[in-house]
Amino acid sequence: MLFYSFFKSLVGKDVVVELKNDLSIHGTLHSVDQFLNIKLTDISVTDPDRYPHMLSVKNCFIRGSVVRYIQLPADECDTQLLQDTARKEASQNKKK
Amino acid sequence: MAEEAEQPTVATVEEPFDLVRLSLDEKIYVKMRNDRELRGRLHAYDQHLNMILGDAEETVTTVEIDDETYEEIYKSTKRTIPMLFVRGDGVILISPPMRANVG
Amino acid sequence: MASELEGYINHTVTVFTCEGRIIVGTMKGFDQTINLILEDSHERVYSTTGVEQVTLGLYIVRGDNVALVGEVDEEVDKKIDFTEIHVEPMGAVVH
Repeated sequence: MLFYSFFKSLVGKDVVVELKNDLSIHGTLHSVDQFLNIKLTDISVTDPDRYPHMLSVKNCFIRGSVVRYIQLPADECDTQLLQDTARKEASQNKKK
Repeated sequence: MAEEAEQPTVATVEEPFDLVRLSLDEKIYVKMRNDRELRGRLHAYDQHLNMILGDAEETVTTVEIDDETYEEIYKSTKRTIPMLFVRGDGVILISPPMRANVG
Repeated sequence: MASELEGYINHTVTVFTCEGRIIVGTMKGFDQTINLILEDSHERVYSTTGVEQVTLGLYIVRGDNVALVGEVDEEVDKKIDFTEIHVEPMGAVVH
């Protein structure tokens, strides 16, 4: 749940999603679900000359499983909170 | 309440994930599928090994065959991303910080 | 769940499959595994010699093979001169 909650807190922020087919899409995070499928609005591909396939696409839904990386806005990420939450979830998982 | 929340203060490693937990806020090395490697500070992870790395340096290694000598030429390209979410299904291994070299 | 796709119902969408195919059509339905129903669909085959459009009709795309679903702005789409586009096909998704 850590990342689902984290991405929900980033809704409205700009991210770059890099897919496992090497396509990189820049856009505003619109929504995320428990599978980390994501919806981006106001998108642009970072290399439009190589990828003109999305010229008429303004917003898109990306299947979570095809995501390789997501570049995040560093100043919007509370790294202390992330680490604390990760520790908390680790101890919760151990109790099971 | 207080009793159940108490964790041993001694850092004990009982299972692989303990090693990952102890690497939080440390610089780690991650080997990824498709000849990718990452080095960065671990800020978060979950049971799928999804991660967030700070100041992540990615190295991608590609191999080209020389047309004449048929020698394999390895090329690596590097880039740095200030804050990076890494999807766990691409992770092959995580290595905790090298204590001899770091700090 | 994948209810984020709700807003695309009856809209023209472009679907990138995991093999790198691109299918454009009207989205009539979807389910939680991202299986899609596309009506009046066609495939856009990109290559360095140009873009070929192949009529497909009513198509069901299995969710496992869906990489991305994009909402097409039809006004913008109409203005694209596909004869000017010469690119390699989209790569396949490598897990």
